Amino acid sequence: MSDIKLKGISKFFDNNEVIKSLDLSIANGEFITVVGPSGCGKSTLLRIIAGLESQSSGDVIIDGREVNKVRASERDLAMVFQSYALYPHLSVQQNLMVPLKLRRLSSLERLPLLNWFLPKRRSKMIGLNEKVLQAAETLQITHLMERKPGQLSGGQQQRVAVGRAMVREPVAFLMDEPLSNLDAALRVHMRAEISELHRKLKTTFIYVTHDQAEALTMSDRMAVMMDGEVLQHDTPSEIYNNPVNLKVAEFIGSPKINVLPAESDSKGKITCMGLPISMSLQTQKQGNIMLGFRPEHTELISSDSKTCFEGKITYKENLGSDIYLHVNLKDGQHKMIVRSEPEKAIDAKIDDIVKIGWMADKVMAFEENGQSLPTESKS
Amino acid sequence: MKHLTNWGSEAGKHIVLILGALVVILPFYLMLSFSLKSPSEIQSISGGFFGAQEMMTDHRCLKAGRSNEECTMLPIVYNYKAAFKEAPLLRYLLNGVIVTLSIFAIQVLIALPCAYALAKLKFWGRDVVFGLVIFCLLIPVHAIALPLYLMLAKFGLTNTFAALVIPWTISVFGIFLMRQFFKTVPDDLINAARMDGMSEFSIVWKVMLPTAIPALLAFAIFSVVAHWNDYYWPRVVITGDQDLMTPPLGLRMFKSDMDGNEYGPMMAAATVIVAPLVVAFLLAQRRFIEGITLTGMK
Amino acid sequence: MGHSRSHFWFVSPAVILMFVILILPVFVAATFSFTDYNLGSSDFRWIGWKNYESLGKFSSYKKMFTASLTYVVIVVPISVLLGLGSAMLISSLRFGGEFYKAIFFLPVMATLLAMAYAWEFALDPVMGVINKFLDDGCSVGWFYKLITGTWLGFNPTESWYGELCSDRMPNWLGNRKYALGSISFIGIWQAFGFNMVLYLAGLTSVPRDLYAAAEMDGANSTWEKFKLVTWPMLGPTHVFVVTITSIRSFQVFDTVEALTRGGPSKSTYVMVYAMFEKGVKQNLVGMGSTLTIVFLGFVLILTLTQVYFINRKVHYS
Repeated sequence: MSDIKLKGISKFFDNNEVIKSLDLSIANGEFITVVGPSGCGKSTLLRIIAGLESQSSGDVIIDGREVNKVRASERDLAMVFQSYALYPHLSVQQNLMVPLKLRRLSSLERLPLLNWFLPKRRSKMIGLNEKVLQAAETLQITHLMERKPGQLSGGQQQRVAVGRAMVREPVAFLMDEPLSNLDAALRVHMRAEISELHRKLKTTFIYVTHDQAEALTMSDRMAVMMDGEVLQHDTPSEIYNNPVNLKVAEFIGSPKINVLPAESDSKGKITCMGLPISMSLQTQKQGNIMLGFRPEHTELISSDSKTCFEGKITYKENLGSDIYLHVNLKDGQHKMIVRSEPEKAIDAKIDDIVKIGWMADKVMAFEENGQSLPTESKS
Repeated sequence: MKHLTNWGSEAGKHIVLILGALVVILPFYLMLSFSLKSPSEIQSISGGFFGAQEMMTDHRCLKAGRSNEECTMLPIVYNYKAAFKEAPLLRYLLNGVIVTLSIFAIQVLIALPCAYALAKLKFWGRDVVFGLVIFCLLIPVHAIALPLYLMLAKFGLTNTFAALVIPWTISVFGIFLMRQFFKTVPDDLINAARMDGMSEFSIVWKVMLPTAIPALLAFAIFSVVAHWNDYYWPRVVITGDQDLMTPPLGLRMFKSDMDGNEYGPMMAAATVIVAPLVVAFLLAQRRFIEGITLTGMK
Repeated sequence: MGHSRSHFWFVSPAVILMFVILILPVFVAATFSFTDYNLGSSDFRWIGWKNYESLGKFSSYKKMFTASLTYVVIVVPISVLLGLGSAMLISSLRFGGEFYKAIFFLPVMATLLAMAYAWEFALDPVMGVINKFLDDGCSVGWFYKLITGTWLGFNPTESWYGELCSDRMPNWLGNRKYALGSISFIGIWQAFGFNMVLYLAGLTSVPRDLYAAAEMDGANSTWEKFKLVTWPMLGPTHVFVVTITSIRSFQVFDTVEALTRGGPSKSTYVMVYAMFEKGVKQNLVGMGSTLTIVFLGFVLILTLTQVYFINRKVHYS
């Protein structure tokens, strides 16, 4: 079993606290994504796990063993870099051989052309070549073995980078935004391939990205990181449905969640912009709160129902499968984005007045400071 | 990769580098030190860096019939005075300044418009001219020295100021460098100037030149250093007229003129010649390094 | 565009000068190389390839080739490696880099002739600090043993240094055995700072990520990372540095003319000095031109080799 634990990791760059006393537990074989906006410290965290950076305080524990003093090359982790970092002067085949040669052959055996004198080397080399071939077949790059990185496309380079990590059969794979440099279509395709790879290899994958869609689709569990702290560490659906605070709710889900101010009375009944919300807080709390409505949980209503928001369309995004309407609400201060079926909103035009309804059980409540409030829906 | 500083290996690196630095500095140290010492100290390698600075007697001066008082002075005074008197050191320095500045000025005059034309104007034969520039880059200066000397001799132009300057007026390197730089200037800037009614000539000097100051500076340094230090060409072309000698040539003359063991004044002269560039370098290192290494970026 | 024919005026001075000053002389030299023209006499004869043949016949020219090539073979590898080594040391320092950089670059800036004289004093057999240092070292136990190789088991009195100690320290510039070596030493001293700066620039352009990847792949030591990342990524810089240093080494003149004048016994009779001696001092224009053309040939070969390598092997695409 090789699980990875981070205890109290903090990191200062000059006087900047980039990572703040972070704890994280990663189970063996899981695919965990560390997701957050740029600059939140996730790449630094990954490099600390790898051993390429040293933490200011705290422990990195791999397989029950504290590895703080162990250097990166000896932690048995493999990393795929955002820039791929392939050796430009070596062919694909040689790139894949590098980690094997460095680890399995002694320095004498690494000198070229010595097959004659060292018979053990010969058999070792055959074994290494097989491993390389296997990895290449899994990644479908066997036809590229003789080419140099400069002659490969972005997607192909990415696969070679993954291959170089794979051949070592490490304890865990660390991936630093590996898909950021690819175009959108290729990215979607590679997401599936990486997930498939994870299923096959059953090794731990620690994946860092700023793209929340990648995190949602690929992970067993996600850690949402902002400003050097892990805000929530849970399965994608939990994070989506029960974000622990407003920042998480706003980061996860596209388009961004709609946030409107509301009041809660002493009995826990909630009113939002003058409309009663059929939902109450589990704990009695009187005062101002905020409600979150995800665009995909709202809809246009045509009936004369009174419990709906009203506003004027300012912008219409027609994505083919969905239509998103940007609406300025009646009070003149707040806006919402509403998702609608294409058929329903096909005639909607800018400046139209519309009525907006919502799914009662999907509303989220937050305190003024952003903490989420548990609710019960009444209906 | 942030590993904790390994102070042990850091110290080791410094030791090696310091040893190297000592070897590199040695001639500078000697040059400066000898220029401060009396002949006896020089012969016996004594006196530390500054020498004892005891009053010394100049024997030659005594022989020339002057009084003991006049001929006794501090070594440093003796050395530097002799350097400036025995050889027209000031004259040499002046020549150096005039020659290097003239060369650079003319180089700019010729190279800048040509570079502009190659970079920004479209005309028939442009590629041919550029090809010519590249071809000429291959020709090393030592290969043309002898024939040029011949040609100058035929016209009676050896031992002239013109002879020192003319061969360097065409700097293909300068043309190449400025062209690369000019290519990065946005066309719109030039078109706007044209719309304003500027002649192409004005454009070169009023629009392109100001934008190229960094590259020009690097080129200036490269040119000035190369020509201040140049020994080969002046040696070939100045054969008799001492008044025209550039600093290195003058130093050479001084050495062969000098009888016996006037090492002190020799080193004083050498110091004076080397000092300007070294001081300028220490004050503006980055610029110098840029300028000199541009030689390579062909 | 519709602008004036200004390009003509812009380009003509340069083109004319290029022909007159750069291209024409080459043809002049080529022409005269087939004659026995003597500056000062009024006529000359065509002698065909005789000048070129004498390059192979006379021992002084054989010594010329030997001296030039030996100089290049000594100076180029050592100054390139020193340049690389110092660049790597300096770039890995925590502090003080700028200081060493400035010092090592000084020789490149300083008037070579002046510094050559300073070296001449240092190398003087009687008054020079180097010999004084070596002499004093004879009596310093550990130093003596180190240089003579006593610690490795050699017999000190039979070693090079041991013999010198018992006899006399060498006359560096005046002894046929040591003269070229001394001149080469000065050449290395002057050249390596330039190479250092070029390598420093090259080192900064190596992508940082490659070192991280190498570490993850298991490249533990500085040496491993050097072999896997630093040395290959410096490929273009290598070609460049070696070519520039080689061309400049072929052009060595100042030190030779000032310190040894080609001797002793032509051991330092390098090509450019020979060109100067024959063509200018002895007025043997014909022979001087021949030497010029041969010299040009060498330099062209070096430059074109560089172009070939740059285009083929070194850019990984």
